[in-house]
Amino acid sequence: MVVTTPALGGALRAIVGTEHLHEGGAPVDGAAPRWTAAPATIEQAAALVALAHDERLAVVPRGSGAALELGHPPTRVDLVLDTRRLDAVLEYNPDDLTVSVQAGCTAGALAARLAGRRQILPLDPPGWAARSLGGIAATQASGPLRQRYGTMRDLLLGVRFAQADGVLTWGGAKVVKSVSGYDVPKLMVGALGTLGVLLELTLRLHPAPDHEATWLASFRTPAHAQDCVAALLDSTVQTNRLEVLDGRVLAACSLPVSAAALAISIATVEPAVRAQEGLVKAIVQRAPGAVQTMGASFWKTYDRALAGFDGVTLRIGTVPARLVETLGAVQAVLPGAAVAGAAGLGALRALVTHADVSVLLPPLERLRATVGEVGGGVTVERAPRALRERLDPWGPVPAAALAVMRAIKTEFDPRGVLNPGRFVGRL
Amino acid sequence: MALSASVVAGLQHLLGPAGVVLTREGRLTYESDMLTLYKGMPDAVVLPTSTEEVQAVVRICREARVPVVPRGSGTGLIGGATAPQGGVMVSMTRMTRILELDLANRCATVQPGLINLWLTNAVRDRGWFFAPDPSSQMVSSIGGNVATNAGGPHCLKYGITTNHVLGLEMVIGTGEVVSVGGKAADRPGYDLTGTMVGNEGTFGLVTAITVRLLHLPEAVKTALASFASLVEASEAVSAIIAAGIIPAALEMLDDAMIGAVNAAVGKVYPDGAGAVLLIELDGPRAEVEAQAERVAAICRERQALMVTVARDETERALLWKGRKEAAGAVGRITAAYLLQDAVVPRSKLPQIMREMVAISKRHRLLFANVFHAGDGNLHPLICYDDRKPGELERAQQANEELLHACIALGGSVSGEHGIGMDKAKNLPLQYAEADLNFMFRLRRVFDPDGLMNPAKLLPSHPACGEGFRPARPTLPAGTWV
Repeated sequence: MVVTTPALGGALRAIVGTEHLHEGGAPVDGAAPRWTAAPATIEQAAALVALAHDERLAVVPRGSGAALELGHPPTRVDLVLDTRRLDAVLEYNPDDLTVSVQAGCTAGALAARLAGRRQILPLDPPGWAARSLGGIAATQASGPLRQRYGTMRDLLLGVRFAQADGVLTWGGAKVVKSVSGYDVPKLMVGALGTLGVLLELTLRLHPAPDHEATWLASFRTPAHAQDCVAALLDSTVQTNRLEVLDGRVLAACSLPVSAAALAISIATVEPAVRAQEGLVKAIVQRAPGAVQTMGASFWKTYDRALAGFDGVTLRIGTVPARLVETLGAVQAVLPGAAVAGAAGLGALRALVTHADVSVLLPPLERLRATVGEVGGGVTVERAPRALRERLDPWGPVPAAALAVMRAIKTEFDPRGVLNPGRFVGRL
Repeated sequence: MALSASVVAGLQHLLGPAGVVLTREGRLTYESDMLTLYKGMPDAVVLPTSTEEVQAVVRICREARVPVVPRGSGTGLIGGATAPQGGVMVSMTRMTRILELDLANRCATVQPGLINLWLTNAVRDRGWFFAPDPSSQMVSSIGGNVATNAGGPHCLKYGITTNHVLGLEMVIGTGEVVSVGGKAADRPGYDLTGTMVGNEGTFGLVTAITVRLLHLPEAVKTALASFASLVEASEAVSAIIAAGIIPAALEMLDDAMIGAVNAAVGKVYPDGAGAVLLIELDGPRAEVEAQAERVAAICRERQALMVTVARDETERALLWKGRKEAAGAVGRITAAYLLQDAVVPRSKLPQIMREMVAISKRHRLLFANVFHAGDGNLHPLICYDDRKPGELERAQQANEELLHACIALGGSVSGEHGIGMDKAKNLPLQYAEADLNFMFRLRRVFDPDGLMNPAKLLPSHPACGEGFRPARPTLPAGTWV
């Protein structure tokens, strides 16, 4: 059946109710949607997707809106599916260290709920508290705690999503250990909603450590910082967070500026924190570096400095042993950039203030070439649309792997309903 | 189905006479994995030595539409490395090289046939280890671990195989070689590495694996607590987890298993206990000390009969000896057994233990338990005598009842062994038709011709067949016409 635009609006309205269907709505990446719908239930969400599928509308899922500039600019935005009303904590099993939430639940709201039982979901990308968990999953966003706990891919046990034709589908399990069938949750993490609109997540929790102590180690050269990272990794110290901060990020945190610094935290029972403090300080001093004990508020300051940054954000994936080369490459091609990130994993962020597109293009390609030597890459996490129109925000993906990704997308979303054009290879 | 002369000639030309096993006696070794209930002899076994050879084998088979079944060490427990439809079995036992050790970046790249423990042996003296430790780690291959997404006792703290795999090279069912993931963090695109781990050979054959290595902990402490019953021991497990302590391992043995172990290897566990808990803590020394005290206190609060902490490496090895020898010791109490691998939420352990006792009584069968209690992963051995008529059927019935009880409590049909031929029929307990159909379609992307390890993992169910349409949401009718 072919329906006209006003009639389609009526159908969408019939699904979510008059107050929750708007003509237009907040633009996504500069593109104004035809409608914005905020479902109250996952069944409503699935019905919206089903209708969009039948009427060949492009659906753009939206959580907190923190990561809407990730990826290629969307080719079409017909219906924004706003998940913010799907914010329930569905089932919290503290004795199992698991929780099931709706995708619109924010990490901050969940943290508040878990605090009463001294448990955490250790996912802390910049500005994490306001971000929706569905959005963190779809964008595979991560922060300092990944040093110890991994990322969403390690914590997502089960997922419910609406496929491109609206079929509600579940993958994974609600228990902490399961190998029953394919690992569908892994496929959904970082897929930017292009294979399904994420609606419910079952997550593995961790006990909140009794005590956390943080030190800032300052170095005269990035090479000393890298030596310190290597020594920490090759030791029995169990770091909780291990972030490298360059001079500009230090300044943004109102800290004394050095060529490079490491923010190192240990979190466990208090006697073990104290026992490891000596080891950490000895390793830093040998690098050589200077140690300063930080207050508990440091990580909030750091989070605010990264989240509050206004400009172009690049995600750099490399390896820990290439810290110096990577920091050097960023400085060489983007002299104004600030760099910080998980030093022990080679997961960095570069923050660039000047957003002049023509100036940025060549350096990005040169940076990609350097990081690419170890198989790493540079993803444009946030940038003005004009920049992302002129370069591939994801960077190259090997042809054979991209062919498989394309085949998966074609199998599950042949009509291009879900976030069309935004993912790698414009899938 | 016998192989055509041209396929045989092609394989022999590719791999030489030593690389192709065709005799019946030679192939007999390959007809089943450790779950011998399922048998299926391949028409040929090939032993490639490189990715290029694996790819050439797949291309030959694909052209002739012959099934391809991968096999590592054959220690799987699910009827995965068996060829029920015949075809070519690809044994990875000649692909055992460590391709790269990169300790500065905490990783290694290995061929799939490398034995799990050999990797740790190669790096232990420099202070590193490979964390996934299935009980078979002395003989099982890393490729097999990846195929089944294997677990092990220490997965409670460290996670299962997938949490340690950074990248893969795989020959998929289309005959293409695909490299995914790698050492560097945060690759763009779908997480194909994570999607491929646990595929049980149904997407293709893994030819190289990049894994994360971890630094050995400063201290390890192992304790043993005995309890009057399984239920009390289970309550202690729940209390330890609820107290915010994640031990490296938290293993339980019941009285039947204690008796078998003590008879086999000497009195390592206290007689007369209904259950023992083997608790291992590792990490920074001060953390381990503090947590060991807390764990011992919790066990005492939960009416432990006795709590012993190993004072040195010899005592620690002795406490583990019983656990490690358990599978072998079972021979003393039963001729045959079925091994269940279902999972329950860990807080439901006391409840499932009560149900297990009831099921065991109802079917007049001995259940011997040795399992990963910390993550709720059960491993009851359901003992039967195959010489007595009807006992196998009773054991199978009891097995199914237990599985249903686990799912009813919110569990999963497999915690670490996988699905294979054994549990494919059980997947519909855990997944709706739409979920099964999604998995079927995912498989088809990697293996459009259905030749890669056929008849494994997915059930023969309408939702796992062509043309199935899962139920779609009901749309508002007539509101806009």
